[in-house]
Amino acid sequence: MKNIEILFFGKLKETWNTSNITLETTSHDIESLYLELLKQVSEVPHKQSIKVAINDEFVDWDTLINDKDTIAFLPPASGG
Amino acid sequence: MFSLSESTIDEIALKKSTIDPSCGGFVCFEGWVRDHNQGKNVLKLAYEAYPKLAIKEGNKIIAEAIEKFGIKNAFCTHRIGLLEIGDMAVWVGVSAAHRDAAFKSCRYILDEVKARVPIWKNETWSDGESGWIEQE
Repeated sequence: MKNIEILFFGKLKETWNTSNITLETTSHDIESLYLELLKQVSEVPHKQSIKVAINDEFVDWDTLINDKDTIAFLPPASGG
Repeated sequence: MFSLSESTIDEIALKKSTIDPSCGGFVCFEGWVRDHNQGKNVLKLAYEAYPKLAIKEGNKIIAEAIEKFGIKNAFCTHRIGLLEIGDMAVWVGVSAAHRDAAFKSCRYILDEVKARVPIWKNETWSDGESGWIEQE
């Protein structure tokens, strides 16, 4: 079991109705964590458009999760 | 250098930091909040960022531009928080020995920042609604 923090930004905050949660999870990578988190929402976002980060670094969906990681889900940027 | 700013962008100070005696060219782009977007009347907007990652990615883009175009200096500042119509949202400035590299690198930095730096725009419209803006 791993204790992790999850951050949501932009419209994903509205999808999950929060900007951050702490979670105990058995998910081993981001992909499986995302599938676990989808059980909490009624509207499924387009995964292809979401970027992910662990501890303030962009990573791939198959990156492994470690205890105390901070994992961020980021919708497409719209700055400028 | 890339930075985020919670207050009005000081473009005069940024220009002073960017220009250099070895450079014959200085190009800058200023992005301003306009009163309409995607067919709606915009009243105000808010920018949200993931600050640590935004600064890392923004500085990576600046380093890429320096490497790719051989420019001397480049700065980019992006506002976060609440902005009104007519506020400056983003400033990009570059200095280079010659104009071609200056124009091209300025465009490169702006395009890459818009596409890659984790910043999100939430607009409030005249119909009372508000919403997150998708990339155009």
